[in-house]
Amino acid sequence: MGRYILRRLLQAIPLLILLSLFMFILIHLMPGGPEAVLFNPRLSAAGRAALRASFGLDDPPWLQYLKWLQSTLTGNFGTSFTTYQPVSSIIATCFPLTLELFGSALLLALIVAVALGMLSAVRHRTFFDYALTALSYFGISMPIFLFGLLAQDIFGVQLHLLPTSGTSTPGYTFDFFNGLLDHFLHLLLPMLVLSLTFIAQWSRYMRSSMLDVIKQDYMRTARAKGVSFFRMLTRHALRNAIIPLITIVALDFGAVAGGAAITEGVFNWPGMGLLFITSLEGRDYPVLLAMLMLGAVFVIGFNLLADILYAVMDPRIRYS
Amino acid sequence: MDVPQQVDLSPGENEPFWELDETPELVQKRRSQGRIIFDRFVRHRGAIVGFFFLTVLFLFCFLGPLFWRLDPDLIPNDVITSRFTAPDAAHPFGTDWIARDELARALAGGRISLLVALTSMAGAIILGVGIGSFAGFYGGIIDNLLMRFTDVYLAVPLYLLLFVLSATFTDGSPKSVVILISIFGWTYAARLVRGEYLAHREREYVLAARAIGAKNLSLMFRHILPNVAGPIIVNATLLIGSNVILESVLSYFGFGIKAPNPSWGNMVADGQGYFDQAPWLVFVPALLIFLTVLSVNIVGDGLRDALDPHMTER
Repeated sequence: MGRYILRRLLQAIPLLILLSLFMFILIHLMPGGPEAVLFNPRLSAAGRAALRASFGLDDPPWLQYLKWLQSTLTGNFGTSFTTYQPVSSIIATCFPLTLELFGSALLLALIVAVALGMLSAVRHRTFFDYALTALSYFGISMPIFLFGLLAQDIFGVQLHLLPTSGTSTPGYTFDFFNGLLDHFLHLLLPMLVLSLTFIAQWSRYMRSSMLDVIKQDYMRTARAKGVSFFRMLTRHALRNAIIPLITIVALDFGAVAGGAAITEGVFNWPGMGLLFITSLEGRDYPVLLAMLMLGAVFVIGFNLLADILYAVMDPRIRYS
Repeated sequence: MDVPQQVDLSPGENEPFWELDETPELVQKRRSQGRIIFDRFVRHRGAIVGFFFLTVLFLFCFLGPLFWRLDPDLIPNDVITSRFTAPDAAHPFGTDWIARDELARALAGGRISLLVALTSMAGAIILGVGIGSFAGFYGGIIDNLLMRFTDVYLAVPLYLLLFVLSATFTDGSPKSVVILISIFGWTYAARLVRGEYLAHREREYVLAARAIGAKNLSLMFRHILPNVAGPIIVNATLLIGSNVILESVLSYFGFGIKAPNPSWGNMVADGQGYFDQAPWLVFVPALLIFLTVLSVNIVGDGLRDALDPHMTER
């Protein structure tokens, strides 16, 4: 197992370097470029040259890439073209927000999806099962911005229950506890909306893997030796049925560093997705590259984690 | 499944078994493979409903303009008074912020959205089948290149890659969005096709075809391709749905189809700002997207069940 993990990690290094080269080329191919998008059009020629030099745009592209690679490998992601902040500190403010949104949505989705999937497997071919199937089709097919706008309209505009955008109520200063509460209320809607699509997908997986497990002989054995129905489901069936789902959850969680662009856009949640879009519009090369690489590290890492989890939970699976 | 009706062959109470009638149920009418698949698809009630809805949506968008002749770009002279008209007889879907007829725009936007989804599906499938079949059939360096390339591709979070690609390559025209979504979507199809080819190239029928002198190209496309068509067709169907979503997400963020051309995605994005006064500007295109994707998904699942010979009743 240790050798397997080591090999996978070593394989990831050339992949990441190749990827950074691809992304570097892609980003520099973008029409416009920082000069056209960011620079003040009335800037003098000398000022323009000074800015170009300070951004390192005068070097030939291959040298720019090598310099970027060198500084990235030493842990320095450069300075943003638009805000002149270090890229690492920009990401350090956005990433926790995305992590909070994504993590809570996925946790909620996992709990609900497992419960719904188990229920509909146990109640196979009943009204509940069919209703859940129909609902999950709806959830998978619904564009997330429609969900978001509907939720904003119903809970925010019509019922005045929940705030609809941002991370805190502007213009107020709260003490610690109320500030936390305010923040949580702002989190609630985007979290619910984001979790709905995951619930729809995952409950299908859970249902079908649960159906597979319920048919097995050891379920009958468990019942025969006197295990209660509930305990059979939670202890015997769930442990086996949840294995495929956990790997899927790990894979889906790998997208966290990219943020949930649509949900963040609808609810104006200043996480990684929105940061990426504003950086893209501003042609902020250092931020874009850092985010893409961070995203790739997370995707690759969680792919590996999914494979490891699979082996840990199902001892029959061995990697060599 | 097509199991013939169980026939009770055990002799009845009073009659000896040799006097049993001919049992016509045992003789099944021979049906072609296509017919079997078609029958199975038709028996999937949800899939038929989905197919019906999809047909209606396509007819609505492509034949609708024959009956609804208002110009989607026409801004009437009384724009100040007639804008944000709620849905009524003259404007069944209402009017937008410059008093254009929302129904006409939904039809025009639907034509673009659906055409973009269909053509980019075709592009992605052609690329994916082409590259995936060579990689799976020949293996070796092509296969290695493909796998490394898709590894790189799959390592970037989906939307980040999509946004970067769209900022680099699209100019807001439907054609550029089609190209973008095709080059975005082919990798999954290629991996799928590669896997199928890997499994099939060792099968006896391929060996048999090779023995009678079939060349590699004809092995790949005359012999193997029909056998792996099932998963490809299912993937292609589901791709239409995800392409509709991708197009709408791109247009929603302003990276997709841009202003003079309406699309369901940019209609949602534009209508969003007027949600309080004119919610139909969001609901009409968003519900059309939703209906399209929903029916495509159901049809795709129906096809999957119909095309899968090992389908288990579930």
